[in-house]
Amino acid sequence: MSYLDLPISKIHELLVNDKITYQDLIKEALEKAHKYQPTLNLFETIIDNPSFNGLDKSNPLFGIPYVLKDNFSTKGILTTGSSNILKDYVPVYDATVVEKLRNSGAILVGKTALDELALGGTGTNGHNGPVHNPYNLDRQSGGSSGGSVVAVSSGIVPFAIGSDTGDSTRKPAAFNGVVGFKPTWGLISRYGLFPFATSLDHVGIFTRNVLDCAYVFENLAGYDSKDMSSANTIKTQYSKNLDNSLKGKKIGIIKEINDSMSNSLVKDNMSGVISLIKNQGCEVKEFNVDERLLRAILPVYLVISCSEATSNDACLDGIRYGIREEGETYIKSIINTRTKGFSELVKRRFVIGSYCLKAENQEKLFIRAQKVRRLIVDTFNKIFEECDCVIFPASGDVAPLIKGASDDEKLSSKYLIGENHLAIANFGGFPSITIPSGFINEMPIGINITGKCFDDQKVLDIASGIENTLGLKDLVKEVK
Amino acid sequence: MEFVTTIGIEIHVELNTKTKMFSGGPNVYGSLPNTNVNPIDMAFPGIMPVVNKKAVEYALKACKALNMSIDETLIFDRKNYFYPDLPKGYQITQQYHPIGSNGYVEINVDGVEKKIGIERLHMEEDTAKQLHYPDYTLINYNRCGVPLCEIVSKPDIHSGKEASLYVEALRSILLYLGISDCKMEEGSMRCDVNVSIAPKGSSKLGTKTEIKNLNSIANVMKAIDFEVERQKQLILTGGVVEQETRRFDEATKQTVLMRKKTGAVDYKYFTEPNIMPITLDHNWVNDIINNLPELPKQRKERYINKLGLSEYDASLLINNKELCEYFENVSSKSNNPKQSANWIIGNVSSILNKENISLSSLKFTSDDLSNLIIMVDKQEISTKQAKEIFDIMNNTGKKPSDIAKESNMVQISDDSSIKQWVKEVLESNPNAIEQYKAGKTNIMGFLVGQVIKKSLGKANPGLVSKIVKEELDK
Amino acid sequence: MKISKQELNELSNNLLFDMSEKEYETLQEEFEVILEQMDLIGEIENIDDVKPMVFPYLIKGHELREDEVDNILSKEDVLKNAKDTMMDMIKVKKVVG
Repeated sequence: MSYLDLPISKIHELLVNDKITYQDLIKEALEKAHKYQPTLNLFETIIDNPSFNGLDKSNPLFGIPYVLKDNFSTKGILTTGSSNILKDYVPVYDATVVEKLRNSGAILVGKTALDELALGGTGTNGHNGPVHNPYNLDRQSGGSSGGSVVAVSSGIVPFAIGSDTGDSTRKPAAFNGVVGFKPTWGLISRYGLFPFATSLDHVGIFTRNVLDCAYVFENLAGYDSKDMSSANTIKTQYSKNLDNSLKGKKIGIIKEINDSMSNSLVKDNMSGVISLIKNQGCEVKEFNVDERLLRAILPVYLVISCSEATSNDACLDGIRYGIREEGETYIKSIINTRTKGFSELVKRRFVIGSYCLKAENQEKLFIRAQKVRRLIVDTFNKIFEECDCVIFPASGDVAPLIKGASDDEKLSSKYLIGENHLAIANFGGFPSITIPSGFINEMPIGINITGKCFDDQKVLDIASGIENTLGLKDLVKEVK
Repeated sequence: MEFVTTIGIEIHVELNTKTKMFSGGPNVYGSLPNTNVNPIDMAFPGIMPVVNKKAVEYALKACKALNMSIDETLIFDRKNYFYPDLPKGYQITQQYHPIGSNGYVEINVDGVEKKIGIERLHMEEDTAKQLHYPDYTLINYNRCGVPLCEIVSKPDIHSGKEASLYVEALRSILLYLGISDCKMEEGSMRCDVNVSIAPKGSSKLGTKTEIKNLNSIANVMKAIDFEVERQKQLILTGGVVEQETRRFDEATKQTVLMRKKTGAVDYKYFTEPNIMPITLDHNWVNDIINNLPELPKQRKERYINKLGLSEYDASLLINNKELCEYFENVSSKSNNPKQSANWIIGNVSSILNKENISLSSLKFTSDDLSNLIIMVDKQEISTKQAKEIFDIMNNTGKKPSDIAKESNMVQISDDSSIKQWVKEVLESNPNAIEQYKAGKTNIMGFLVGQVIKKSLGKANPGLVSKIVKEELDK
Repeated sequence: MKISKQELNELSNNLLFDMSEKEYETLQEEFEVILEQMDLIGEIENIDDVKPMVFPYLIKGHELREDEVDNILSKEDVLKNAKDTMMDMIKVKKVVG
């Protein structure tokens, strides 16, 4: 009997009524983890003797196994960032997210693979090789939170934690038929999350339905004195307040984004969703956004994220932790360490970032990108004045093939808008959630709902309403 | 050819907060290696900085005391470079928005008051400490993250003397603010100077060299004086001053080349994305800057104008903060600032110097000294007796009143006893009276001495003089 | 605009890692794309009058940290992950300059 593919509320009920124990759940999770690992390659570490610290049985997360993307610091447990440079690094402190989940009674059973140091969007650039999509093993899981999304879509655990800097939780969610949520920037503490681009980074949550997402979110949200960007908001019971009525909700759609989807079936799916929600009483309004701004999303994202990343990862030198290569001088040792420790993609990103930060280039590149960021964010804030949220397809197509992924990672002008628009929510710190919306050739696709800062409840509400309307939730793809 | 020297001075001051600038790691000097470290100090992946409120408070105090304009919005920047003592690969500093700007400090150069401009004061964090051995370097992260204030002067300084006075004035102010212990020899205050010379009348400044790691104010002056001479000689013999970083060798008293400056380093400064701009509460800021402790200049004025100390004595005390605080205690308790100053500058200082000890090692307390002074003022003992008691007090730590009782050193000030002795002395010295009447008035001193001798040193000298004179004048 | 391999080499040197010829070539192609796209941004009207956005939003009234000691690591934890230590300090080859 498997329980971990059920919604959290169901599992919780069984636990509370002593029909199952948390030990049963751990056993099931670990069995599945070991069983699927050779096929899906989603783990960095499987934690065979996990610890349980649950005190409050009323917490829905009590006794629930979960996995964590391997860019969250876990004390005493290997944390690699899926990078060779940290392949033997065992942290001496816990990320705040880890502490909170431990206190909620959730049980950490594994650290999952990511695109190295979160710099990537395919799930193929971790140092242990690509993560495979359970719906089609030849296809990408998506990234950078590849391992985490797959742990949920394959039914190993009911929830997983990822991160989201450009779309790293919300796009893989679409590729895997699961829910991927990125709350308002600063609502979940990032203390202990290896930074990629600080001003764009968010903690991300994967679940199989919106209510589960709310359970996890309310256990994680809250002020943390260790994170100066942490928002001081009132503790909210997002799950209890979840209101899935769509009647009267004003939903915005962006013509230029919808039009830019590369697969026409995605466009059809979107139209279908729009019709369905209109029937539920939604008012759907179409907005236009200057295409130049939309086309600017990718370069702006790259310039800002690569620049911040190059600085954030400057601490990786092999001196205090991580691998250390030999060298005749201390500098040579560092050079050999960083050369061996970083993959090609990551080095390319660092060079781009470094170039953009050079004194003579900053004004035209880094600073200008920050200016465009403001224009884009202002544009959407104006749109939010006239609607409760916007929705768009999460991606222009289904998960791409793993073969050819390095070409996907190489920067090009193809599908400029359609594959990069989710970054808008990182620029603005907007709460943003992807939910499954259908299948194309048996591969999942999803739609994304984004609202203005601190409207997380509203975004969850609308997502729940659309989820209800579409009837697509709790999807699990078992792996043979 | 005549040259004009232009000097700029950069000072880094370690603030004596309990914790580091951006972490709760302890800020303690001299501990065992790597025992004062917090995850943030080690730059483990995922850590985030959190700004220390006390450090901001101290920086605000410094800005006010140095007459600077204060920017009440704190914005931090990253200075990116690789070095083993900089774990993050960047230092968090305030490149574009220093908390203080455009201030000044006053110095007195050979009797002339001069204002030295201060360009900026900003907050940043200290690096780890490296211990260099022949083949390897060891790194201790205790110091990593300690709060620093960097203070940059305007190029208003024109001689080694002025430079040393500037550093001294700054040091004194910061010490009196209580925000740093300013020990150059321990590195809690570090001084780098930029020196250039140009022909008199030239509108351009010459190429400057940087002298680092100066560990005393005296060396600041010596280093600059040497460097100016060196540059002069270089130019006069047809050479060219190159951009270099030099250090001062104490043994040879010369500046020595450390490395050539190959060109400006690009630190790729950008706003620290972990710290949003912080608008300080205006009332909080005002509360801090309007409640500064007494600064050296004010205190010196008070000593001269209110307490009646000489300029010399006042300066001496002000320049030694520990001694000065000691004086504050003694003089307020004894209510006799002049005597307190005399005792401290004289007797106490000579003990400290001779025995090479600090005030805290003295066996007697400041209260004991105050009481001694009070006893003299009340005429319970004579000054001569006081000196004896002081020596015993210093050797044994006993209270002055106890010593006086035990040694029976009580000054006798009652008229009848003294009159009796005077009578006896006058009777034994009939010639003296005649000599006095004949005009030899200084014979009185002899007679007074005799009376005191008769009293075994206990008679109140003032009273004896008075009574002897009365008797002689009869 | 084509970035020279020499410039890319300088950049990677400053970042303390080496890259292969092929990597530089890929990077050159990527730079062409980015720089071209950033140039297009230059054509947005009055772009340079806009204030740069560093943070997604600004919050006010957040607390500065009280000056209290917190979370001291044991020296074992400080050194645990370092590959070379000596006398309770982290050891590297001699640092010159």
